[in-house]
Order: sequence, then C-alpha cells, then structure tokens
Amino acid sequence: MGDSVTRLARRGRTSEVDFALIGHQESWRAAAEVLAVLRGPQRRPLPDDEIKDILPWIPPRAVCRVNVGSIVGAKARGLYIDSFIPPDRLEAAYVHENIARVRGAAAYAINTGAKVVSLGGFSSILIEGNFDQLPERHDTAFTTGNTLTVAFIVQGIKKMCALEGRNLRRSTLLIVGATGDVGSGCAHCLAPVVKRVLLSARNVERLRKLRAELQAHGVQVEIATDRQRFSAEADLVICAASLASPSLLLGQIAPHALVCDAGYPKNLSPRAELLGATVFFGGLGQVTGGLTFAPDFHGILNRHPFPDVVHGCLLEGMALALEGRFEAFSQGRGCITQERVKEMETIAARHGIYLAPLYNADGPVEDGLPCRNGREDGWQGQAQGQGVGHAGNLRGIADPDTELRRLSPTGSC
Amino acid sequence: MEPLLDVKASPMKCTSLSANAPIWQDILAQAVTGELLAAMNYSSLSEICDDPGEVADALEHAQGERGHAAAFAAEGRKIGVEVSNNVDAKHWKRLRDAFLRCIAGRDFIGCLIVQEIMLESFAVASYSRVGRVAPGSLGKTFARIAAEEEDHVDHAMSILRAERALDAQRFDDKVYQLHLDVMTTLAQMLAKECKDGHCEVCHASCVKPLLFDVSLSAAELRGASLQQYLKTLDMLGIPGEVTLLWVTQLPV
Repeated sequence: MGDSVTRLARRGRTSEVDFALIGHQESWRAAAEVLAVLRGPQRRPLPDDEIKDILPWIPPRAVCRVNVGSIVGAKARGLYIDSFIPPDRLEAAYVHENIARVRGAAAYAINTGAKVVSLGGFSSILIEGNFDQLPERHDTAFTTGNTLTVAFIVQGIKKMCALEGRNLRRSTLLIVGATGDVGSGCAHCLAPVVKRVLLSARNVERLRKLRAELQAHGVQVEIATDRQRFSAEADLVICAASLASPSLLLGQIAPHALVCDAGYPKNLSPRAELLGATVFFGGLGQVTGGLTFAPDFHGILNRHPFPDVVHGCLLEGMALALEGRFEAFSQGRGCITQERVKEMETIAARHGIYLAPLYNADGPVEDGLPCRNGREDGWQGQAQGQGVGHAGNLRGIADPDTELRRLSPTGSC
Repeated sequence: MEPLLDVKASPMKCTSLSANAPIWQDILAQAVTGELLAAMNYSSLSEICDDPGEVADALEHAQGERGHAAAFAAEGRKIGVEVSNNVDAKHWKRLRDAFLRCIAGRDFIGCLIVQEIMLESFAVASYSRVGRVAPGSLGKTFARIAAEEEDHVDHAMSILRAERALDAQRFDDKVYQLHLDVMTTLAQMLAKECKDGHCEVCHASCVKPLLFDVSLSAAELRGASLQQYLKTLDMLGIPGEVTLLWVTQLPV
C-alpha cells in the first residue's frame, strides 16, 4: 500500500490534468464498492452502517486517475472527483448541501489544473441553471456534458427503432422531464423526425415556452404537468427527469412502447406497469481508444455489461480533452440544438467514442452482443444479488429495493 | 470548521446539565487528558528546539494547553463533577509514545505533524461539535478552546508548508508513516464502540453509547475529526486522492 500511495502522490504532483469528471454514487452499494477498492483486498470491507456514517463526512476529492485514448492516437489524462453526495440525500431538501459539495468538487478540480470539467449526474442538474454558483474558474472550463448525453439518447432511440422495424416518422414521442436541459435537447433533436410530441414536466411555464419553440417549426406538440397523462398515447418514451430515486410510474403505457430511461439515478420505478414495453438505458457511450483507471476501478466506476462504457455527460469532457477543445461546450439549460449535438457527435466519433451497445437491467437488448462476462443472454451484473427487475411483466427495469441497480457512478444524466 | 453535512447532530441544545452530568464528566475527562498530553508534548518539544523563539513558542503552547485543561476541569466543578484525567490510559499513552519517538529523533517537523495536524484535527473538530450542543458556559468553553486550537494549526501550517516545499515526496512519506502510527490509534479511540476494553479514562462504563443523550454521537465525532484531518492535509498540499486512501484504510 505504501508503494502505491507513493506512486500516486508522485503522479499527483507531476502530471498535467487535461480533464476532470465530477460525479457521485447513486446507491449505497456503489459507494460500498468504491470504498472497498480504496481499502484494498487485504482489509475487511466496511460494514454498511459504517459506510453510511463515514461517507457523508468525506470532503470532495479525487478518487482515481482516468486516462483515455483516441483512435487517432491522442491521449488525455484526467481525474474522477467524487462529491460524496450521500446516495439517500439527492432530494430537493438537501439541495444547498449538495450544491456546496459540487462547489467543493469544482474547486478541487480547479486546484488540480484541470482544463475542462464534466459535471456528472446530479452535479450538472444542480448547477445547470446556476453556473454562477461555481467557484471562480480561472483557466478551467466547466461543461454539463448534456450535449453528448442527448446525442447518445437520440442515437439510441433511432437504433432501437431500426432494430425493431419501427417507423420513427409515424411515432408519438413522450418526453418526461421535458424542460430539463437533456429533455429539451432531446425534444429539439427528435421533434422534426416524429409525428407528434408530448411533453411532460412540472413547470408549466417552461413547458409552454418549449412548446412554442417546437411549434414554430411546425411540430405537433402537447404538454402536461401530469406525468401519466400521455402514457397510453406514446409509443416512444424518453425518461429524463431529475429524480432522487427510481420512482417514476408512467401509468398505463401503450403495449409495445419503447422506453429509454436516461436518468441518473434511473427514473423508472420497478413498480411501473409497462406491460409489453421494451426498456433500455439511454445516454451511454463507449470508448474504443482505451480507458484506464488508477487505482483500477474498471467495472466499479463504470458498471455496465460492456467494457469502457461511460455516461455521455462525462464522455463529453473526455472528448473535448482529446480534441484539445478546453471549453464550456454545454452550459445552462435549453441551449442544446441539433447543430450542437451534431458537432459534439462528430468530435466524439473522431476519437472513437460511440453509442454504447444498448442494454437494460436484464441484459443487452441487441441480439448477438457479448457481455463483459461473455454471455449473450442477459447479464446479471457482477454484484451478488444484482436486481434485474424480472418481476411480473416488467422488462428491463432495475430493482432499487436491493440497491443493486445498474451502477454508473462516473456520471450520468 | 463547518462540516459539509451534519449527519447526526441535532440543532437542539442539551438543556439539562445535571441529568447528564456523568456524560459531561467523561467528555471533560477525555478533553482534560488530551490537553494535558498536549502540554507534555509541547514541553518535550521545547527541549529539542534550537531556536530560542521556538523554545518560547513551545513553552507558551504548553502553558496554553494546561490552561485549557484547567478550564475544562473548572467546567466540571460547575456541574458538580470531579473531572479525572489519565495520560497513561492505553490510547493516550500510545499517542504520547508516538510523539516521544519524534522527540527522540529530534524530529521537530514530525512533532508538529503529530501534534498540530493529527491531534489538533481531532481536538478542533470534536470540541467544535461539543461546543454546539453543550449548554451554557460548558458549550462556550469548548467552542472557545476549539477556536484557540485552530489558531495553533494555522501557526504550524506555514512551517509545514515551507518544509513540504523543500521536498514534497519526502514530506508526504513522513506524514504517511506518522499517519499509520498516530491515526490508527486515533481511529481506534474514535471507533463507534470500544471493542478492545475500557479506555481507562471514562469513570464507569464507556460513554460512547450515552452520547446520544447529549445530542452527540461517536460516529459524528469521528466523522468530523476525519473531515478536519483531510481538510488540513489538503491545506498542506498533499494530493486528495492519496489522503482519501489513507483515511479509508484506517480501522473502524
């Protein structure tokens, strides 16, 4: 241990940091696994009660180094910084404490000299409308990463439609969480290619504004603040709400609907009645030019059934670093346009960052794809007792009651 | 220093001193013991200082710590309890021995790291927490002494930062070696339960399970102390990813 610490300490002083990724754990199980890696195999894992006692006191700091490679030979060095937001404190009641943690993580990133910083999960949700709450930024650019998240959601929807032989142009699209940065970005990108758009969100004023923007382009749009109102009418659903836990009940959804859960934490409740619907996780990309962690957090920080899969919001920071564009590509709310999505897709693809193979809690949704564990028939996750949401007619919804949801603490959106 | 997240402490102050006097008695006994040990450490430090100014500083600090011990003892008398102390109690003795090893090596910087970075982090954080919930003058005394201890840390930080600037690798290795020794003992002291027997300071059975009665908890004191320690190491410039490893590998 002493040697590895010494090595880390030395690297900490001599390496330049191109990018930083700010994230948090979405479940206590994920937090436990991160702490277990940090403690090392020779030490007894911390009991659950100790983890819940200790984690909230840890100030934001780097957990590991992240190196990413490009298919054209570029390399970028970064850090994963955890804000250590307790997984059970994502609700609005803790917003000020959590913003303080994100600010602390941002200050940490600035101190490391990171040139571009991606804000993952609630980090971006907390800040996207309040960029002025970040510390004075010097030479560090902050991006929410939402543009690449939107790109991968849209690509995923199109890919699933193609796989299932659906005609996108005849589809009715429902976006839950439509007025958020990701939701509105998806609306702008997909509205021109579907028949009808249904927007659901809590804030009616923002809904009206978004409806007007889309209608100006001749799109047929309806809005509702009731999350379940449109469920039966939609055959495509994007869940992009900011929820502290998987609690979304869509109501009676249309049979054979296609549902993209793009939340972090996941949106859909395992109690959602999605008879016949197909669920897949959206907003994920895959690095094909190499991704390493030091210490080795592979499969812990990016816990997906396929290698080198990371949430789009964090990949945006990596892509910008590989491109040498240290800029605040995604900021604020409602600024994501088709043109910006295209630009970000192009940057990512140039460096071998593509849409990840599609999967849900039951496993891959594309036939013939080998999982990380080599199986093709549904992955069961690596954690003991991984909840996979097989109950009743639910297809592909993770079970949060076991706290063993799909873990992707490196970020989210 | 404010914790990022107050996980356990109730904002409600404990209003009844007499009912909880035995609990405050043990809290004060730990505080007095810590202050007396600090006084002994500074006295020892004065013996290896070459610079007359440093000698005077160390002796002044020693006197200040004795004053803190006296103030805590006086608070005990106000609530009608005798506050004992035991610098030879098992955990405290190990901490003293660690400091004396630095003295034996005439390691001035090592002494500062043990006393100012490690022991004072514990003192500042735990006194601050107690100061928030203890009623009347008891709370004020804890809060005042926490602030004074924090000043010590600030004083030492400039010396330690300058030392680290000379050779960061060597400095960090030294801190890590002392961390293994001192912080392991402190972590055992701060564990939620004393699993390896009586601490030899509490006047009867272990006070930790009773801390909830005065709006405190052992977990909160440990969390606040480790947070203070991490922030202090941050101020020294030691990489946060390294200190995270150090702290997460401590015993619980």
